This record gives sequence, structure tokens and C-alpha cells, in this order.
Amino acid sequence: MTWLLRRLGISLVLIWVVATVVFLAIHMVPGDPAELLLSQGGTTPDAGVVEELREQLGLTKPLHVQYGLHMWRLLHFDLGQSMQDDSPVVAEIARRLPRTLELILAAGIMAVLIGIPTGTAAAMRRGGAFDRISSAIASLALAVPVFVVGTLMVMVFAQMLRFVPAGGFTPFTRDPAQHLALLAMPAGAIGIGLSAVVFRMTRAAVLDVMLRDYVRTARAKGVTPNRILVRHVVRTALMPVVTILALQLGTLLGGTVLVEFVFNWPGLSGLLVSAVNARDYPLVVGIITVISVLFVGLNLAVDVLYGLLDPRVRR
Amino acid sequence: MRRLPWTPIAAFALIVVIALLAPWLGLANPVSMDVPHRLAGPSAAHWLGQDEFGRDVFARLIWGARVSLSVAVAAAALACVVGTTLGVVGGFLRGIAEILALRSIDVLLCFPPLLLALLVVTLLGPGATTLIPVLALVYLPGFTRVAYAGVLTARSQDYVEAMRVLGAGKSRIMLRTILPNIGGPLLVQFSLAMAAAVVLESGLSFLGLGVVPPAPSWGLMIGAARATMTQAPLLLLWPCLALTATILVMNALCDGLRDAVDPHPAYRPTARRLLDALAPGLLPTPRAVLDLRGLTVEIDTPHGPIHPVRDVSLQVFPGETLAIVGESGSGKSVTSLAITGLLPGAARVISGAACLDGTDLLRLSEDRLRNLRGAAMAMVFQDPGSSLNPVHRIGDQIAEAIIAHRPMPRAQATSAALALLQRVGIPDPARRLRAFPHELSGGMRQRVMIAIAIANGPRLLIADEPTTALDVTIQAQVLDLLADLKRERGLALLFITHSLPVVAEIADRVAVMYAGEIVETGPTAEVFLNPRHPYTAALLRSAPVEDGPAPEGIAGVVPPPTALPPGCIFAPRCDRAAPVCTTTHPALEAAGEGRAVRCIRWNQP
Amino acid sequence: MSALITATGLTKHFPAGGFLGRGRAVQAVTDVSLTVARGETLGLVGESGSGKSTVGRLLLGLLPPSAGHVTFDGADLATARAGDLRTLRRRMQLVFQDPYGSLDPRRSVGAQIGDALSIHALLPRADRAPRVAALLEQVGLAPDHAARYPHQFSGGQRQRIGIARALASGPDFLVADEPVSALDVSVQAQVLALLADLRARLGLAMLFISHDLPVVRHLADRVAVMYLGRIMEEGPVAAVFARPRHPYTQALLSAAPSLHPERRRTRILLQGEPPSPANPPSGCVFRTRCPLASSDCAHAAPPLQGAGHRVACFKAE
Repeated sequence: MTWLLRRLGISLVLIWVVATVVFLAIHMVPGDPAELLLSQGGTTPDAGVVEELREQLGLTKPLHVQYGLHMWRLLHFDLGQSMQDDSPVVAEIARRLPRTLELILAAGIMAVLIGIPTGTAAAMRRGGAFDRISSAIASLALAVPVFVVGTLMVMVFAQMLRFVPAGGFTPFTRDPAQHLALLAMPAGAIGIGLSAVVFRMTRAAVLDVMLRDYVRTARAKGVTPNRILVRHVVRTALMPVVTILALQLGTLLGGTVLVEFVFNWPGLSGLLVSAVNARDYPLVVGIITVISVLFVGLNLAVDVLYGLLDPRVRR
Repeated sequence: MRRLPWTPIAAFALIVVIALLAPWLGLANPVSMDVPHRLAGPSAAHWLGQDEFGRDVFARLIWGARVSLSVAVAAAALACVVGTTLGVVGGFLRGIAEILALRSIDVLLCFPPLLLALLVVTLLGPGATTLIPVLALVYLPGFTRVAYAGVLTARSQDYVEAMRVLGAGKSRIMLRTILPNIGGPLLVQFSLAMAAAVVLESGLSFLGLGVVPPAPSWGLMIGAARATMTQAPLLLLWPCLALTATILVMNALCDGLRDAVDPHPAYRPTARRLLDALAPGLLPTPRAVLDLRGLTVEIDTPHGPIHPVRDVSLQVFPGETLAIVGESGSGKSVTSLAITGLLPGAARVISGAACLDGTDLLRLSEDRLRNLRGAAMAMVFQDPGSSLNPVHRIGDQIAEAIIAHRPMPRAQATSAALALLQRVGIPDPARRLRAFPHELSGGMRQRVMIAIAIANGPRLLIADEPTTALDVTIQAQVLDLLADLKRERGLALLFITHSLPVVAEIADRVAVMYAGEIVETGPTAEVFLNPRHPYTAALLRSAPVEDGPAPEGIAGVVPPPTALPPGCIFAPRCDRAAPVCTTTHPALEAAGEGRAVRCIRWNQP
Repeated sequence: MSALITATGLTKHFPAGGFLGRGRAVQAVTDVSLTVARGETLGLVGESGSGKSTVGRLLLGLLPPSAGHVTFDGADLATARAGDLRTLRRRMQLVFQDPYGSLDPRRSVGAQIGDALSIHALLPRADRAPRVAALLEQVGLAPDHAARYPHQFSGGQRQRIGIARALASGPDFLVADEPVSALDVSVQAQVLALLADLRARLGLAMLFISHDLPVVRHLADRVAVMYLGRIMEEGPVAAVFARPRHPYTQALLSAAPSLHPERRRTRILLQGEPPSPANPPSGCVFRTRCPLASSDCAHAAPPLQGAGHRVACFKAE
């Protein structure tokens, strides 16, 4: 129990530090955000206009006051307004985030369904034909960057074969079939690489566990091979696999940018890229803060899960 | 370091050389436009055709490699230098430096990598010069972690403490002993960072946030070719292929380096057991629970097959303890694993028979052997810490052994497990049923292993160094328990150990093994009082006895199984060896009532 | 015989770790006093967790004690200046248990033996190689072994190299921490004979840490028995082995298996297992397993007392 509270405490501290780092990073950059915002297109902005915008953005206040204000708002889930259209950042994130999560979840399910069974099967017949072929495919899948897979998928399935639309988004509530058809390609593009990662992790973990003394004990007890596999090998081997998969999914929180761009999927990452291009600081700060908090939360969840799976961690 | 991955190294070197030589390859100018010939197909002048501005695609591919690799190498190098310094300083100085280094890395790790990159690009604007610090920042934590872990591991090594004992200063220890020992993992990390940097650079360029046009970059080329993919699909394919092939080579390089730096035992496919077709000449003695005849085990090694166990024969009778005693490399553990069919993949039995109550274990199918393991024959291993599954409760692990052979309701198996825990002397057994292995002491865990072993009333119990990991007062308890069980249940106990005093305490008969062979066997008291093989005699003289003379060592070392001497294997170390001993290999011959010895001079003065 | 190294009231606590160092501190060593005279060998025996290795590290000044102090040849290790400490280091050395982990796999044997010579600038550079060769010969290896790497040697040979490294600086005092317990019995005897021989020839004082009682009986002049961080009994080996006075020593000696079971002492089988050093019993730490324990034993820790043969037990006759 103290173990859980301690992990929770560490996570809260990390979230605070992350929010601070993002705040400082934006405010410490050389150059003034207001000036940068107005100087796009190569023109030198008028000093008066810049000053007006600084006032509007609260940049004229001392740094510690700005920081206090920022933190106070964060505590109330207020991330300010977008500089482009004054819409609340929180609302925009709330609209986009579920779409990105859906993408990640679909890819994760695909990776589990493909990677874990094939990885286990390959390890059980190490060096056999299945192992060699599946390992080679995994190596290839790992070598193709996700935007290359995505672009090639668009070319083959949408342009040449015309199976599915090239990209876009339809809300599930409006047209479930169309929604799923549009989800298939982006989720698949992410899922391929992820499956390869899960495959390799599973294979390595199963091979490692099969050599452990307690598997020999189980064999010495006369336990059937299937039961050894399920109860002693896979159960233990899955622990590192689950950890890696969860962390990979976390990485994807910011990593779906490329896929969302390729398939025109209006998720959170796409919003981030356009915010970066438009230098919309409140939006950038908001998105990065939200994703980082989710990432820290996910790490916490993985630790807790690990504790549940492995009694040795709980102390 | 073991074998280096030469194929990926060569492939990677080729890519690097081509990229380096780009200006001297006589290529077309990668940025000069030729708009009239935009999207032209392959021609003699433009091998891979021309892009949407009529630029030469082949030249852009080669120059793209130059951009990708230089960004990747520079970023990885920067991350390596900064990250390693942080890790080494943190790990070596400890205190405040350690906290600062590790916590700042923890904060960096709170940002998903691509997100971190986007944050920095937002701040500094796109371009190759931004990319390098961005990518370095992303891969810096990896280096810090590797260096820190390496330093911590190295610090706890005895040889580093030895330097401290000698009075060596910190900087000397750092340079001489620690840095060389973390070089391997850092090299692996460097290759990983480089490969990942190529991916990330191309991704950012693809989004228009990386390399700025018109500079050639694979990511940019793919991004641009998307617009024209229906008219010129090949234009999309070339950069995709170049990028994928490069990453494939770099990933192979990483895997190869990792294997080379962190060598695991080389894998050999499991060979089918080749059993000699001929049954051994003698019929098994009916009374023996275990009758082992002429067991020879072969292991494939890179230097050819070796035979760690050769022509081993022994019998164990009901209610009797037979000890196999020998030093490391004598083959005693391999013998027990061969009997139970638990030999590791690379090893196999090539001749002999092992009859358990008349059934030859070596000729049984794995299925039938499994029905005997844990039932008619049971095993206790040396290390009770690793022999129990850490994630399952003690009670479940005992119940599993029961149910494997006698299907019964779970509750019934649990109460049987409770009775077993009681029998092996575990206090408060009802509570211990629900305990995990790490909550018990070593002695308790070994009692649990014994409970599992006797769960189905075995006829034969094989105990491989069961008390070696235990303290002497706990060892006495466990030895007493085993002796009680043997008496109470009429077990045949095959006890494997290196300790002569333990043999003297518990064994009725003893078989002494040396370099894969039994050299002497007989009743323990007689063998120890009046050893007939010079090795047995020398071994007894080397064991310290409290009130006896000072122990004497045996000169020389055990011959490795790859270089066995031609005659008697003990001859090179034997103080009684005659010239004939170095040429004739002696057989195990009867030497009095119940005794046998493998020495041609045993009855000569 | 004059005392070379003296420990007085040595105590070592290790923080239990955990968030902000909460949880109980592990009391590895509590109130240990001992002396080793010049040329004398003190055997230190005990089971795992008894704190015997920690005592060795404390005597060498590798760990700072939580309380108490160590004097080496009249100089207090805690107050010695850095320069003096380096000189003291030269005079006290350590031989490790693990013959594999104690040698750097990436440096030649000669370089590792020569470290002491260069660190303390004991010899001009040109004279170092002959000195390394002489050291190798002294421990029964060939001079040309200096150019080889540790993996080319067997366990017993590595242990000889470790001894040569320890001898290179010309120490007066050697801590041997289970130096033979990782070796096969026939090799064990070789290394023990080497240690006994070197001790006689070089007049070394030695702290010989071991869990193997017969080995200690042969090598040591005096023996101290530790249990849960405290010394239970201490005295000349002959006296302690012939007439152990502490119930723990009696049980320990009787539990050790013997090559001649018919001549062995009547076995006193201790019940249960040693308590955790993080939570030792009050009073006498052995009382929870002691066949003689009574309620008095829970109140105060018995002092180690007696002349020559000392024992920490209220019940000792």
C-alpha cells in the first residue's frame, strides 16, 4: 500500500516538474513570442502592435507572476485560449484526444493479437522455419518507418485498388461503417510496426523464461507442456511484454503525428503540428502538457500493473 | 566481445562510403531544376528519372543519404558525449550530482520522443541545424541510463573494490577499470540512437519540420512524391526503398552488436536422442529402483562434440542413499539430468540404459517420461531461490504437482499441500500456503521443494546439491529431514554433492566421479576408510578434518572434456601413476564385496 | 605479541532504503571489539547475515563505522590524514571470495598485480616487471603468466593471482574473505597451504573469514564466532573447538557434517532460522533459538567476558 502511495507521489511531482519545464521552455526561448507571431511572412512588425499583443498575452507581467497564474489555471484545467481563434484550448483538446486514443488503442489490440501468439510460437520452435520467416518479417516491419507504410498503403489500397478512401474522418455516431473503414488504414499502419515490437519482445521473453530453474522444476513435477507454457512461461514472459507495449503506446501519444498527417485523421497530433506551424503557443503548451501528463499516468499504471503481476515488486 | 556482425558492418560501411563520396561520383546536381522535364521517366542521363521540378532523382537519393547520415551521426555523437558524461558523473560521484543527473533524465523521459522533438522545433524553428540538438536531446536519456547502470555495476565488482583497497584514486579507477567495461553497451546504444535518428529525421522532414527544401532528404522526397503518386508512383518508391534498406541495415547492425557485446550461450537446435539400437548386455538387477548402465552423454560445442559423462553405471536400492560425489566438471549433475530427461537442448544421451523399476527411462517418449517425473521419480535442485516460480503462491505450486498426476478437486489438493508442508516441518503451514517464494528463507524454500518432490510418493528421489546454498545449521535440519523421509517411506535417494563430509553423514553407498567417469564405488564407510582409487584417497586427504592433519591439495587441474588424456584420465595428477597408466584406459573392475574401482594398480602395493 | 590492528566497539548500521530512508536500519555489526596481533591469524566464523564480511570491510576502512573505531599500528583510521591513509592502505590488503569477479577481465594479470607498485610508487618503472614475476612465482605461478588475461586461468589459479595482487604492496595485514569457499576441495587445500606458507614466510597478520569450521581450525590461531552482528565467543582455536562454551558455538560445531560421523559431537539441532538483522531480538540475540534461554536473556545483551577465552552468555558455565 505504501508502495502504491509512493509511486503516486512521485508521479504527481513529475507532472508538476513537466508543466514547469514546458512553461519555462516557452518563456525562455530567444525572441519574443508576440514578435515571432507577428513577424511571420518576413515583415518587421510595428512596435506598438507587438506591445499590445504582449499585454493581451500577459507577457508584460514578471515571470514568476506569469508562472503562478499558469499553474493556478492548470489546477483548474484551464489551458487558456488559442491565439488563432480565441477558442478554449481545453475544448479543442477534448474534441481531438479521443480520436488519437482510438487510433492507438486499435493499433495496440492489433499488436497484441498478432505479436503475442506468433512470438510465443516462434520461441517454442526456435530456429525452425516458422521462427525464421516470422523473425524476418518482423525485421522488415521494424525497418519501414510508419509514414512510409502509410504512404504506400494509400498508394496501393486507395489509389490503385480503391478498397478504401485515401483518408479522412467520419464520426462513429454518424456512420459507423465508414468510421471503421477510415480507421483501418491508419491503425494498420501503426499496428504493423507495433506488432513487430511485441513479437520480438514476446519471443525473447519466452526464450528467457524457458531456461529458468522453475520451469525445470515444473517439468520435474511432471506438469504437461501446455500447462507449463500457459502457467509458468507465458505468465512470466508477458510481464516485460506488457511493460514495453504500454510504454510504446505512451510514445504513440505524441507519435501518431505522421500517421494522422498521412491519412488526414483529425487527431490531437495533427492539431499539434498545425499549432507548431502557426506558432500558437497556448495551444502547443496545452497539448504538450496534456500528453505528458497522460504519459506519466500511463507509466504509473504500468508500474501498478507490474506490481499486481509480480508479487516481488510489492513491498 | 565475441564475433562481430561483419555482414551488417560491411553493408553499413558501403552506405557510408557512398554518402561520403557523393560529390565525386559524377552525379547530376541534386538541386538544379529542369521544369520542362518534370516527372520524366528513367533515361540514360537520369537513371531513376526526374522529380516534380525535373531534378535528378538518383542524385537526390545519394545526397539524401549524406544528409540523413550526417544528421544522425552528429546527433548520436552529441547525445553520447553529453549523456555518458551525465551518467558517469552521476554514477561515480553519487550524492547531489547523481540526483540532478537522474532526475533531469526522468523529466526528459516524461515527453514522448516525437513530442519532445516537436517542442524544440516550435522553439527553434525547422532546419538541419535544429535537428541535431533536437535528436540529441531525444536520445540523451538512453546514454545516461546505460552509462549510469554500467558504472553502478562496475562499482560493485570485486575488482573495483580491489583497486580501492590498493589505495587507487577515483580518476584512476574511472579511467582504468570502469570506462573500458561500459564501452560495449555504449557502442550498442550509439548504433541504436543513430538508427532511430534516421527514422525521426525522415519523419520530421516528411512533415516539413526537418530539413528545409530544396536540400535533398528522403523524408522530403517522400512527402513531395505523395502529391504526384498517381502520375509517378516510382518517384514515391525510390526514397521509400532507400530509407527502409538503410534502416534495415542499421537495425541488423544494432542487433549484431548487441549480441556481440552481450554473449548468450550459442544456440544449437535440439537434436533427437540417438539411442543405440542394442540393449545393454546385462539384464537389470530386479531389486534396484534405479539401474543405470553405461550412460554416455554428448554435447555439441563449437569445438566439436564432448562427452561430459562416459559409461556411468550405478544402482540405487529401496531405502538406500547413494551419493555421487565429485568436483566441478565431474559430470555428476549431467548424470542426474540425463536420468530424468531434463538435459538442456545441446546435450543428448548417446548410449546406455536407465531402468526405473524395470522401465528404461532413456527409451521413453517425452509423454510417458512426464508421467513418471514428479510421480515415481522426483527431484530437488540446488538453488531453492530460483527453482520456485516467483509469481505463484507456495500452496498453488505444491497443488500443481499433485494435480499433475492425481486429478482431484482443488480444495482437496490444497489440503494435501497443507499436510505436506506440515510433514517437511514448516511452521504455521496454513499461512505459508498463501505465501510467495520471496517471503520465505532459503531453508524454508528448500523444504517446499522437498514437499513438492514427495507429493506423489516417489520411489526415487534425486537431490542435486540440495544443501549447498544453505547455512550449516540449516543444512543439518534439511539433511535430517531427507534421512527421515527415506526411512519412513522406503525411498531410494540419489544424492549428488561435492561435499565429502555430507556424503559421510547421509550416504549408505558412494560413487566417486572424476572428469565424467565413476572411478570408485562402494559402501561409504569402507570407501572412506580404505579408498582404493588414488583420486578418492587424494580427495579425502584434501578435505579439512577438524582434528586431523592439515589438508593436502591435489596438484594440477581437472582435464577439460575437450582434451582428455589417452590413458587413465587421472594419471597426469596421480602420485602412483606408472608408465602403463598413460597409455591404457582402465575399466571399472570389481574390487571386493560391493566395491569397484577404475585403476589398474589398485591391488598393487 | 603486540596488537597490530584493534577494533573497539565497532557498530555498523545500513539504512534500510525506501522513500526518505524510512523503515528499519539493518544492524549489520553491533559492538564488536577485537584485536589481531602481528603475525597472528584470527578466524572469524558465522553463517550468512552474521556480519562477518562487514567486520572485514570495517577493519580495512572501506566502510565508515557507525560507531567505534579501528586503530592500525597505533593510527586511528577515522582521523588519519589522506596521505597517511594511503600509506596505511599499502599495509593492509584484501583477498576476495569470488575468483571470477575479483579480477578485471579486460586487463592483463601482470598489469593488475603491478597496480599496487605504481599507485604507491614503490619501485622505479623498470624494476616493476621483475617484481611482478617474483610475486607470481611466490604464489606458485609462472612468471610468463603476467601477460595473460584472467579468463585463461582456472578458479584456483585466479585465487593465487588475487593473493599475488594483495601481496604486491608488501602488507602486514591481510583480510581473507572466504578465500576458498568458491573452490573445489582439492584446489581449496592448495590455496590454504599457500596462505599458511606465505603467512609464515612474510610474518603476515590475517583476519580469515569463513563459514567452514574445519578450515578455520587448521589455519587460525584464535577464532571469533559471530551471530547476528555480535561476537558470541572468542578464544584460542584449540580451546574453542575442544570446549565451546556458548550454546551457539556448540550447536554450530555439532551441525557441521564430519568425515567421521562416529567421532562427531552429539548433534544439537537448532530450531528455526536466524531472525532478520533489521529486527533483532531484545537482549541476547541468540535467545530465540537457544536451548538454554530463560526470561533473563531478553532483558540485556550479555557482555563478552572472560580472560583469553571470552564468551557472551549468561548461562555459560
